[in-house]
Amino acid sequence: MSTAAETAAQLIYPPNIKYNSALTSVKFLASCFAGAVAGILGLTNWTGFALFLVSTLFTSLCINVINCHGHPAKYIPGGWTGLLNPGTDNASTFVLVWTLFYGIVHVY
Amino acid sequence: MSSNNAVSLYLDPQIRDWVLFPITLVMILVGILRHYVMVLLQTPPKSLPRAALREQRALTRSQVLRATSANSPIPPTYYKSISRHLSEAFDAGTYLKDGPPKEGDTPKMPPNPMTDPAAMDGMMSGMKTQMVMMVPQMVIMGWINFFFQGFVLIKLPFPLTLGFKSMLQRGIETTDMDVRWVSSLSWYFLNFFGLNGLYRLILGGDNSADSSRDMTASPFGAQAQAPGQAQDYSKLFKAEKDNLEFSEGIYSWVGEGVEDRILRRYGKI
Repeated sequence: MSTAAETAAQLIYPPNIKYNSALTSVKFLASCFAGAVAGILGLTNWTGFALFLVSTLFTSLCINVINCHGHPAKYIPGGWTGLLNPGTDNASTFVLVWTLFYGIVHVY
Repeated sequence: MSSNNAVSLYLDPQIRDWVLFPITLVMILVGILRHYVMVLLQTPPKSLPRAALREQRALTRSQVLRATSANSPIPPTYYKSISRHLSEAFDAGTYLKDGPPKEGDTPKMPPNPMTDPAAMDGMMSGMKTQMVMMVPQMVIMGWINFFFQGFVLIKLPFPLTLGFKSMLQRGIETTDMDVRWVSSLSWYFLNFFGLNGLYRLILGGDNSADSSRDMTASPFGAQAQAPGQAQDYSKLFKAEKDNLEFSEGIYSWVGEGVEDRILRRYGKI
């Protein structure tokens, strides 16, 4: 007997999934800019990570409103969890850019 | 806990120009280089003779048919006829590379990975991949340790425990300095993890410069190549025939009862 998950998986159209890579680029760029903002503002410790969290939430909200028209489950595999996920490696990207800008602006 | 929050070190801006940016630039360029070297090193897959190809494709056809059998888009007449035809073909061995087994033949041994040339190619390319991945990382670490040693490079904006001090402040012989002041090697590590997203943006999703893939792929890459080549297709065909019968049992067409569904939706029933 096929489970509901398999039936749902059968209805997904692969070329559209590939196009969703545009969303990963958006999330990557968002985390880069968040890192730059955190570094320039000189945020340290938990305030910096809080900014990362806020930026992730804000990005997800924008994608939700502008692209998904309020129904993330129809457009993104994984629904809300897939939308809120900041993307693989984007946390380390944030830390890298944050350290870079913090160093350039405040240390040097 | 040192009370050095107000006191901060003043670093020479030349360190920023000559160490910070060059290390990042070199790592980005080496990553891109690694990707293109991998692209050039990929040997195109050897084209199989028609009989061998037909063998593999027959298996794929039956797997594709089975994959959606519970919610199949194919009407019953077609599904059953394809399924029966494939079952009979697997049973009689018409798709086997060397023709149907004759009476009295001893069962053939699957080719040994060491002696079968096709399998060797697979293993070699796997090992080549790993070498190309590891060598640049080692070289860059050595380069950084040699040239950029013994000075503080940057201050991390977040705190770390004392345990990291030995790793991140290698070469700087102080006991009291805040762990947040780190040497160039830690900048290397930050770049190592943080540049994957950039590679994904520049080189596309499936790039070979991604260090997160090295961690997951390398232990299994070498083993996964060999078993694929040494399969005995007659056994596979027997197993596939059983699978086909099973799938035929759970087969149902998506269009089953579609007339009733439409009428119900428009309120006619």
